[in-house]
Amino acid sequence: MTTTLRIVLIGIAIIYLWLIIIAVRKRKMQASIATFWILTGILLIVAVVIPNFIETISNILGFEQTSNMVFCLTIFMAFCALLYLTMLVSKQSKKCITLIQEISILKKKVEELEKNIN
Amino acid sequence: MKILLIIPSYNEENNILKVYNQIKEYNDDIKNELKIDYIVINDCSNDNTLKVLQDNNMNYIDLVSNLGIGGAVQTGYKYAFINGYDIAIQFDGDGQHDINFIKDIYTPIIEAKTDICVGSRYLNKESSKFRSTFMRRVGKNIISFFIKIFTGKSVTDPTSGFRAVNKNIIKLFAEDYPIDYPEPESIVNIIKEGYEIKEVPVSMNERIGGKSSIDIFKSIHYMVKVNISIIIDGMRFRKKREKVK
Repeated sequence: MTTTLRIVLIGIAIIYLWLIIIAVRKRKMQASIATFWILTGILLIVAVVIPNFIETISNILGFEQTSNMVFCLTIFMAFCALLYLTMLVSKQSKKCITLIQEISILKKKVEELEKNIN
Repeated sequence: MKILLIIPSYNEENNILKVYNQIKEYNDDIKNELKIDYIVINDCSNDNTLKVLQDNNMNYIDLVSNLGIGGAVQTGYKYAFINGYDIAIQFDGDGQHDINFIKDIYTPIIEAKTDICVGSRYLNKESSKFRSTFMRRVGKNIISFFIKIFTGKSVTDPTSGFRAVNKNIIKLFAEDYPIDYPEPESIVNIIKEGYEIKEVPVSMNERIGGKSSIDIFKSIHYMVKVNISIIIDGMRFRKKREKVK
């Protein structure tokens, strides 16, 4: 890794982390979800600062090239994030359904009460 | 004994009044001592269903957003639960179900022989004029087969939406009801929760008008989805429960 590449990558990682922190601060992202993304940013910085660290792990696990392990890890983490989001969507839609049902039942009750008053 | 008919309806402006008149006729008939209440769930129809409901002063819930059949039916179960009904019967708004079989369906529940009673088109060979197409029967057999494997119970008509349930199941359904293709999945769920299921022969009419889902890809998608959900639900152990009180 050349020094230029390192500086660029660290710059990207810092901007990335900064964006996440701002999003949390402006309440656009929940802190619980942000932890995952902050973790990915820190991982990137670690990989840039101590490249030997990643190379060693890659050798131990038996990857032929370090980049293969990095890609593999990235894809795996992306899948995890997707899985988590799918679960989140299902949970949200269930809450949404409950809301629609309860509101509709309430609407009926209110209409009945209004009729009785008039 | 309070009985509620849950009628989900989506774009049924032509049929819903007929169903309403059938219920009125049923309640006016002195032979039927048990009167039945009903609730129509209007699932955001695009046609004049809502106007028909209002003009005839029918008892209805107008969903504020479209939920699909599962969500609509569950609204009915919630309504039944809130208002303390003893029995809830699902009844299609498209005129497919015959009101004359209602007694057959709720009687086993009143006699406390079962928790859920499903009207089956296939139980009695002669009972039904309308038995649907060959492909649909094949699909239904595959679903029955999976239910048999994973629950040990034979269910001849797992997709039947004509069913009566007692208080326990009303509570169960009000809390948790499958959304996409609810009939087969909820049957597996009920069995795994340790409740009893029974089928009675009924006859169904062919859907008047409306769209039939002959779309082959949709059918395959449906079969895969239903069977996967049966398998996932089916891998649970069955809860032990006292027989119906």
